[in-house]
Order: sequence, then structure tokens, then C-alpha cells
Amino acid sequence: MAEFIKLIDITKCTGCRGCQVACKQWNELAAEKTTFTGSLQNPDDLSYNTWTLIRFDEVEQNGKMNWLLRHDACMHCDWPACVKACPSPGALVKTDEGPVVHNTKFCIGCKSCIVACPFDIPRYSKEKENIAKCTLCYDRITDGKNPACVTACPTGCLTFGTKEEMLDKAAKRAEKIGGFIYPNNPKYETHVLYIMPGGLKVADYSHANPNPKMPTTLMWWKNLFKPFTLIGIGGVAGLAALHYLIKGPHRVHEKKEEGGE
Amino acid sequence: MEITRRSFLKIAGGTLAATGIGAGVGVRPAFAQPRKVRYAQEVPTICCYCGVGCGIIAHVKDGKVINTEGDPDHPINKGSLCPKGASLYQIANNEKRNQKVLYRAPGADAWKEVDWDWALTKITANLKKERDKGFISTNEKGELVNRFESVASIGGAALDNEEVYALTKMNRALGLVYVEHQARI
Repeated sequence: MAEFIKLIDITKCTGCRGCQVACKQWNELAAEKTTFTGSLQNPDDLSYNTWTLIRFDEVEQNGKMNWLLRHDACMHCDWPACVKACPSPGALVKTDEGPVVHNTKFCIGCKSCIVACPFDIPRYSKEKENIAKCTLCYDRITDGKNPACVTACPTGCLTFGTKEEMLDKAAKRAEKIGGFIYPNNPKYETHVLYIMPGGLKVADYSHANPNPKMPTTLMWWKNLFKPFTLIGIGGVAGLAALHYLIKGPHRVHEKKEEGGE
Repeated sequence: MEITRRSFLKIAGGTLAATGIGAGVGVRPAFAQPRKVRYAQEVPTICCYCGVGCGIIAHVKDGKVINTEGDPDHPINKGSLCPKGASLYQIANNEKRNQKVLYRAPGADAWKEVDWDWALTKITANLKKERDKGFISTNEKGELVNRFESVASIGGAALDNEEVYALTKMNRALGLVYVEHQARI
């Protein structure tokens, strides 16, 4: 199957939160009791039951207030840090179509993915003892439908399509509005792309990581220490087996015991 | 050392365990999940909330609404929905909505649970009484008008297109003139 990309044209977002509700509706996520935070931000943050939300940021720019809206959800990295960090095979899976999906059946609730994620996406539930995050509606896209948030978006801010098609569209749109594509890092590609307006930095948006990359500690752990430890464990066990093969089981010397009396 | 059957099995098992630790890493069970509405019946409807009239598909399985989403083939919204429209599913499925008929008698200060039969009979009786009293069959010029002006109908926000159609049919049959709906407000 082709690889897919969800393209978020930030300049077209009106903050209606249709995507937020559609996500909850399709994924059957429970409602949350929220509080007033002083802005339109509601709920306050992503959670186990909120996989996507609109971030409302009020920033001052040239003495004027600028209101920034950003659809925030899993970025579905090409080379996902969460999957690399996950110790339980099958709990977090990188699929061929692009989405990184979680499977609560295999999740052991170790929270490694939460620490590893460069975008701060996975959320843990104390009651369920596992994590949850956006799956890019994997069940929908494999059936030829758009994800729930993209289907619901009334302004055309969210669009979904094959990788080539969306990359082409993103480049054209960014050039037209004088903006830029984020994250535009050839070393860390994602299956969700933003078109940011010009005159703003990624850092102006809350919870956005201007330089997403695989955590270095994770690389050390998974690429160096883990294989060496496995070789060590295997080697010790192998040598022990070899010793057993050659020398046989350990026997107490009868003579010594006699001599001790 | 002599290798018996028992010791051979021990060695084989130990070696397998030692190598198996390394081999077990990277095993990836297949992730497949069918779309929950794949075998459901698709019923097109219109969003009840405002005057835009977005098209919605209700997925029905075993007589129950299991999902609602924007209709991608509808000319008005092309599948998109606002947060109110996207939450339409909860009109059919939400235990926090009233499940029983509530009645407050004139002058009473509390609501009382009543059954549907009683409520419908009561409404019908009141309507009949009022219609018999206030029905206007001809105007001043003597033209036939068949108006029933002493009762008004206000459609609620949770009535969908089909329900409103049936309600309006009934209202017009009674001769109602003052017919209004939340969507026009």
C-alpha cells in the first residue's frame, strides 16, 4: 500500500474544533471534565482520552496580539522514537502506510514512549495501565477512507493523501503563502506535515518542537548497550552450557569430606 | 562425559534459551483492525442543529446507530462537520439525555415521571380541546382558511430532518400557522 501523509495547513484553521470532536466520536473516547484556563484552550492538554486538540496560543508580535491555532496530534514519524523505545513487541507498531499505531493488548505501561517522543504525544492512564495516542485512524485509511479529523475539517486545513501528492501540494502552498513546511528535517521525516505561515517561528507555537530528532540517550541504549548486553547474556549462557557439556555437573569431592572428620 | 538422552535435551534447551533472547527482539505481530462500520447500513440524514443543513451518514447495525459522520458525497458540506454536527451520535446514544417522559402539572413545583401512553393521551386531549375552541374556518371576507391559531409548534434542536418533516405534516393537517424550529433562530 502507498504511504500516506496528513497535511495541516495552519493558515486555514479557524479553531472550530470539529476535528477534536470527530476524533472522540470515531475512537469512542470518553468526555473529560475541563476547567477554564483563561483562553479558548479546552481541554488543557492531550490525554488518554483526547488524542487530538487545537492549541490556542496568544503571542505578541510587533506590539499586536497574534492568535495562533494549531491542530496537535501524533506526527507519525518515519523513524519513530516511541517504537524504538518500546520494550514490548507489538505494543507500538510502525505500519507500512505510515501511521504509528498502539495496541493496548500488548502495552505493559512502562511509559518509555512518553519519555522518548520528541513531540510529547503518548499519554498514560493510571486506571487502564497503558498508553494511548492518535493512530491516524488506521482502520479507516486501510479501508480507503480519510481519517476522522480530516473528514470533519470544514475549512480544508486538514488534507490527506499519498506521500508524493501531499509533498507536492505542501511545497506549492508554502511557496504561495511565503511560509515554510514543518518539520522539514530530511533526517527525521514524519507522516504529518504542517504548513506554517511566514514571519513566525516554530517556537512561537506551544508544545511544538523546533528541532525534532531521535533522543541521543535512546540511540546509546538501543543501538549499543542492548545488543552488547544480549551478547553478554547469550555468551554466559552458551559458555555455561559448553562447560556442562565438557566437564559435566558439579560433584562434591568425597575425599575432602572424609578428611575433614 | 557420556551424553544421554536427558543431558542432550538439557543442553539443547539451554542453547535455545540463550540464542532465543537475541532472536526474540524485533518480532512484530500483525496489526489489523477492521473498520467498525464496514458491515453497517449507511443511512443518509441531515444535521438537525442549524440552517446550513449538512449531510450526515448514520451507520446502523441491528437497529442501533453505531456511528455518525459527515457525508462526503453531500453537496453542502462534502463530509465536513462542525463540532456540534460531529457530536450528533450522542442524540441517539447518550444515557445523560432524558430516558423517560417528565410531566409537571399546572401549579406543581416538581417534575413527575409518566409513561408515554399517558403523556400522548394527555397531549392529544389538550390539543383537541384547544382546537375545538379556537378553530377558524373562514375569515372576515368569508373565504375558507381553516386556521388553528391558538397553538404554536416549536421544533427542538435535536429533531432531525425526517422527524421535522413528519411533525410539520401533522401541524399543517391540524391547521397550525405558527410553526417554528430552532434551526431558523
